Amino acid sequence: MSQFRTFALVCALLSAAISHAQMQPPQLFSGMEGYTFLPDGTAIPIWGYGWVADGYITLPGPLLEYTEGESVQLNFTNPSPESHTIHLHGLDVDQANDGVPTTSFFVVTGGEATYEFEANHPGTFLYHCHVTTTLHLTMGMYGMILVNRPDMTLFEGGPGYSENAPLLFSDLAMETNLSAVQSFPFHDIRPDVFMVNGVSGDQLEQAEHIIDFEPGEPIALRLGSMAYSLLHLNFPEELNAICYMSDGRPVPEPFAVTDLEIFPGERFTVMIEPEAGWDGHIGCEFWNIPDQQLEEEQFVHVRDASLSVPDWGVTAAPVGFPNPTNSEIRWLGPASLSVFDAAGNSVFCGPLNEGRLEVSDWANGFYTAVFPDGTHTRFAVIH
Amino acid sequence: MNNWKFWTCLILAMVPFGTFAQDTLWLARGEWTQIPDSVQALRFNANDEWSGVNATLTRPVDAASSLVVVNLDSIAHTWKLEAEGELDWDLAALDTIVLEMPELQAGAYRFGLTDEIGRVMGASGQLQIGLEADYAHFHWNLGDWSVARMVAADLGLPIAWNEPYVPEQFTINERTYPAVADDPEALVAVSLGDTCLISIANHGFMDHVFHFHGFHVTMISSSHHPERVGWSKDTVPIRMGEVLTVQLVANQVGMYPVHNHNLIAVTNAGFYPGGMITQIHVAP
Repeated sequence: MSQFRTFALVCALLSAAISHAQMQPPQLFSGMEGYTFLPDGTAIPIWGYGWVADGYITLPGPLLEYTEGESVQLNFTNPSPESHTIHLHGLDVDQANDGVPTTSFFVVTGGEATYEFEANHPGTFLYHCHVTTTLHLTMGMYGMILVNRPDMTLFEGGPGYSENAPLLFSDLAMETNLSAVQSFPFHDIRPDVFMVNGVSGDQLEQAEHIIDFEPGEPIALRLGSMAYSLLHLNFPEELNAICYMSDGRPVPEPFAVTDLEIFPGERFTVMIEPEAGWDGHIGCEFWNIPDQQLEEEQFVHVRDASLSVPDWGVTAAPVGFPNPTNSEIRWLGPASLSVFDAAGNSVFCGPLNEGRLEVSDWANGFYTAVFPDGTHTRFAVIH
Repeated sequence: MNNWKFWTCLILAMVPFGTFAQDTLWLARGEWTQIPDSVQALRFNANDEWSGVNATLTRPVDAASSLVVVNLDSIAHTWKLEAEGELDWDLAALDTIVLEMPELQAGAYRFGLTDEIGRVMGASGQLQIGLEADYAHFHWNLGDWSVARMVAADLGLPIAWNEPYVPEQFTINERTYPAVADDPEALVAVSLGDTCLISIANHGFMDHVFHFHGFHVTMISSSHHPERVGWSKDTVPIRMGEVLTVQLVANQVGMYPVHNHNLIAVTNAGFYPGGMITQIHVAP
């Protein structure tokens, strides 16, 4: 039944996406039937946001990027079984667009909404559901928002940078995610999974999570936390890290930073300009706030691009459905593909059977499908 | 007339009548009914009537003054003003003392009991110096509460400091949401275009962090991070023992929540919404 609902949802979303693709801006949807996978392959249920055009939710939700001065209309649809909202954290929107159900509005099951605001301040912001916030955030309903300037400076009169590197920190308690309906009370929740951009441990060594830099070209680290934990970041001196912004505003006096605390909901923009040939890590410590105990440390890999291996393209790829799946996944368009597991091992290479790929005997986990034109996409297998 | 009343009256008669609204604090133990457990608590009251809310002191800038502290509790405590020099006084059981308060610069300061029982049972408050001259001024005293620790402290039993700290209640001015909204010092009610100040003191046993919907605030002062004065923030950490003041300019009308973004603290005994939530109301 669950698979049928997922299939129907994806078909409906695809249909909507195709018929309106030429006239509608991108639209977010909320879902409550997603999964994330720990480094050991354990499947953890998540709720979250995804693009309607993609048809699946992700942890964290999609990165939303706007341009300073833009009048934003963020379209949102909720086909999930519960009400949700989008709170635009730090963007100082008016009450109607604040995403707090009691002072703004619920987006009920089957409902749609458009959130409107002026992107007046460049910087790093967040978004998240504000319905039963304790539970919905823990389940994964959050993402990051960047407001960029066309001239690639952090703010008017601020330093320039070559690219953004968003790092969204979060955590979850497996017991809660595995049994969301029994997950009260919340004052004693104790996270046991600690993530950077939704992954942890060895997953952070996958190519898409490594920050490759070109010597002499500064990178803007967009740091934000949706965790219960207090983040304590350690920047090696070779990164030449300087903090320029906090909470979407320039700090009066930029300062060199070797360690930085980030509380839940806070954001910082830290510019790094690593020394040529450098290959190392930013340490990300997760501390329990009531106990002041170090829970775990994650490591974000930063390396000179000349030391990296070529990555796959990032252009639009065909969409497979249902996703996640436990039996087969169907692709519209491509005749063949290659598939790699989360560790980068090849698990399939060859033609599709009328667009179908049989996965019933595959292990739980995320897989990357690579198509003949070089595009790629992810899908999940969950039994 | 019993002993403490006699000495209190005598001392009050000896203290020159000042110009300050609150010259005396009564340290009392009583039932705190704000939370369902109705535990015994210690509070600094503005008079000899028991209140579950700690009193606030105000003073003008750079003016020395006297403060009478009446200890109605049956055990001794130590009282501290967290200002330059860290001023400590001993409060004997059922005793009354006169404290000579130093001249202080504008800002908010934390005071309270520093002995183990006094801290756990929650006798602490704010001394505000010269903050109401130009703008409306609000204050939030933050508290996190473990009922087991409070009961142990009340009974004089050992407090389990080595066990994981799992507070069940989180308060602003000793109230949990939604009762916080009944407190005119916690609910920021202003009009469009107004500027106001909010002094936030963390009297609890853990760090807290408050997120403002609808507004950025400017850091005016901070006891722990003075280098952040002038920063514009929408999410403000208030570390354990810290007191800070922020300035808010009400540049849009409406109702906007302000809440702890460590989500364990927006619950009452684990249930959402509760705990450390208040609101900003901006009238047209």
